[in-house]
Parts: sequence; C-alpha cells; structure tokens
Amino acid sequence: MSYPRLKNWLDERYDLTDVKKFAKSKLIPEHRYDLLYYTGGITLFLFVLQFITGMLLAMYYVPHIDHAYESIIEIVTKINLGWFFRSLHHWGAQLTILFLFIHLFGTLLVKAYRKPREMVWITGFILLIISIFFGLSGYLLLWDERAFAAVRVATGGAGALPVFGGFIKAFLRGGMDVTGDTIVRFYAFHVSILPLLSLLMIGLHVLLVQYHGVSVPRSEIKDPQPTVPFFPNVFYKDMIIWLIVLGVVVTLAVLAPPEIGIKADPLAPPPANIKPEWYFLMVLETLKLFPGTIFGLNGETIAIICVVVGISFLFLIPFFDRKANRGEESTVFTVIAVIYVVYFVVMTAVGFLS
Amino acid sequence: MKQPFLIWAKSRLINIPRIFIAAAAWTVCLPLCAARATEKIAVFPNAAYDACIIYQNLAIFWFFIIGLIVIIGMKLKEIDRIQKLGIDRDDENAPRLD
Repeated sequence: MSYPRLKNWLDERYDLTDVKKFAKSKLIPEHRYDLLYYTGGITLFLFVLQFITGMLLAMYYVPHIDHAYESIIEIVTKINLGWFFRSLHHWGAQLTILFLFIHLFGTLLVKAYRKPREMVWITGFILLIISIFFGLSGYLLLWDERAFAAVRVATGGAGALPVFGGFIKAFLRGGMDVTGDTIVRFYAFHVSILPLLSLLMIGLHVLLVQYHGVSVPRSEIKDPQPTVPFFPNVFYKDMIIWLIVLGVVVTLAVLAPPEIGIKADPLAPPPANIKPEWYFLMVLETLKLFPGTIFGLNGETIAIICVVVGISFLFLIPFFDRKANRGEESTVFTVIAVIYVVYFVVMTAVGFLS
Repeated sequence: MKQPFLIWAKSRLINIPRIFIAAAAWTVCLPLCAARATEKIAVFPNAAYDACIIYQNLAIFWFFIIGLIVIIGMKLKEIDRIQKLGIDRDDENAPRLD
C-alpha cells in the first residue's frame, strides 16, 4: 500500500527522516526465550481494548448507589450489544492481568531487570499494581452482593496494616464502610485517575524499552547477537498474535458472559463461599495460613505485613541482585524467582479449588 | 400367579411408583427452579434466533481472523525471502535519474 499524496503532505510539513531511520534500524534480538517479548505487546493491545470498551460502557453506567446495579442490567439487557461489550471488558481485564503476570514472571526469571533496565522493571511493576487496582475498582462498580463483600474484605485487609492501615481503608472506602461514596470514589479511580496514571506509566515503560533496547538473557548472549528488524518482521508477528488474542477475548465474551448476582445489601450477611478475583486468591490463601494471634499480636496484621514485605522485595529486586547487575550468574535470585512463581501459582490454584 | 399388567408395570421401563415420585418431585421442584431462574439476570440474548445469529457471527469472525493471519503469514514469508536475497537494502551507489 502506498499513499504518495499523503506522504508528500506529511513530508512538506514534518521532517520524519529520523523517525523512519529509527523504525528501520530498530532490531529485536533473537533467542530461545524471545516469546516473552510478545507478552508485553499483548498486554499493550489488551490495554487499548480495555480503554475502548470502557469508554463505551461509561456512556451508560450511572455511579450512584441507587442506579449503579440497575444501569448495568440496562446495559446488558436493553442496550444494543451492551452484554457483548460488558463481557468483552470483563474478559479483557482478566487477560490483561494474566498477561501482565506472565510478562512480569518471565522478566523475573530471565533477569531482564538487571542493569541498566532497573527503571523498566519499576515502571512495569507499578503498571501491574495499577491494573490490579483497576480490577478491584471495576469489580465494585457492578454493586452486586459478591462485589460488595469482596471489596469490603479487600479494603478491610488494607486496614489491618499498622500506622497507615486506618487511613488507607478510610481513603479507599470514602468513609467507615463500603457505601455509595465508595462507588463514586472507585468510579473516579476507574475512569479518570487510574487511566491517566496507566497512560503515563505505559508511555514511560515503552520509552525506556526503546531507549535501552530489548534485553537478552545472560545465557543467550552471543557475539554477534542474532537480531531481526522490528519493522516489518516483528511488527507483523505482533499483529498475528494480537489477532489471535482478539479472537480469544471475543470467543470468551460470547461463550462465557459474566454473571450478575443479587443487588448488594449492606445490611445482609455476606454470601457463602465468597471469593475475590483470581489475582487476589494468593493473598487470601496466605492470610489463611496465619493463626488469629501470634505472640499476643494480631495474626492478620502480621500476615499483611509479610505480604507487603514480600511484594516490596519483588518490587526492589533489581537493586538487591548485584551479581546480575555485574553480569555474573546469580543462582540465589534464580531460586528466589522460581519460589515466587511457584508460590503464586500454587496459592492461586488452592484458592480457586477450595 | 402375577397379573400380566403388574409384570408390565413393574418392568424397568415403566415403573408406576417411580413415575409417581418423579411426577411429584417435578410438581414441587419446577416452581422452585422457576423462582430461582427469575433471580438470574440474562447476560446473553435469550431468544434462540438471536443466539444462533451470534454464534454464526462468531464463526464468520474467526474465519476473517484466520484469513488475515494467513495473509500476514504469506507477507512475512515474502519479506523473509527478500531479506535473504538482500534486495531490500538501498544501494547507495545506484545512479540517480534526476
């Protein structure tokens, strides 16, 4: 395809020589684990899909305690293809977080965070936290009994943190309990604050990846390093994978539209066997491992502190793994990475099956 | 000696007590199931015709996706072939027509 008039129009106004040169000269290293590179692209594609479907849903959703639930029922039952876009948004969110975890754990295992890519890891990790909070805030907007109970448990868990816990809980809930104020607050997070933050972080993350180039695992470094041009080779491969992901999301949206439960009643007891979204199951199962009191201290508080320390260690891992930064083999951190991955998978599976 | 009717009635195929229990259970359970079904909100079009159209469109959608993948794959193979031949690079010494 060639558009000479458009090309001329642009050439007369903007000097795009450097951009063209960059696109042509950008090379992607080829190695055994280069499939991990595509998980980042998939996540980016899913983010775009979430933005589009989210904008469509926002046109009909009413963030008010009396109308939130009813507006979703209206979207699903009365609006043309409303059920489909809600389902697409739901499955898009699940897959975004799934691929974010795969991308993060893949990066962790091949130690792509090592010097000089520490900030790439940090921005990516922040993006995962933002996405999880996207999930939590979006889950409450449904305002059914399960969403209500799950958010009450999640925000209550944050409240168990010492010193700041009470403030975080009150800040998230917009009061002492999950109420109509929480819906408005979570809606503001979900449609304005978090999208802005995520756009900023995605921009920074992509920019840093362009600046540092794509990392090569230590075991795969060769001289000369086999590479493949990003444009058109990798770009076309990206497009094929995006098409497959789009097909999968659409198929899931059609075949398994998410259910809507009974409207939330703050005075009713929580439903039996309540479970949060799958990405919170690891935290929930970890909390269950701790007894009520440990040496006279609140067991839940200690459990929450342990989870926060574990996540903080993972967040700062590029600064602890000094051997990897020097380009040496760091077996200890490989073992730590495997433990993290296995623990997450096992605890999520246990939470899912119990 | 048993009556032929009773033998027939006690056969595995048509068992009168079982039919009676099933009918009673059906009479009791059906309204309960219906009451429970009303609690669930239809998150997918109910009419069989609509469902059929949706599944049909899903099949067409996949047909186009696979078609696009095949086209992009062919294009990728062509690019690989051109790159292997080395004719994609600009020759700086090539004479200019202007």
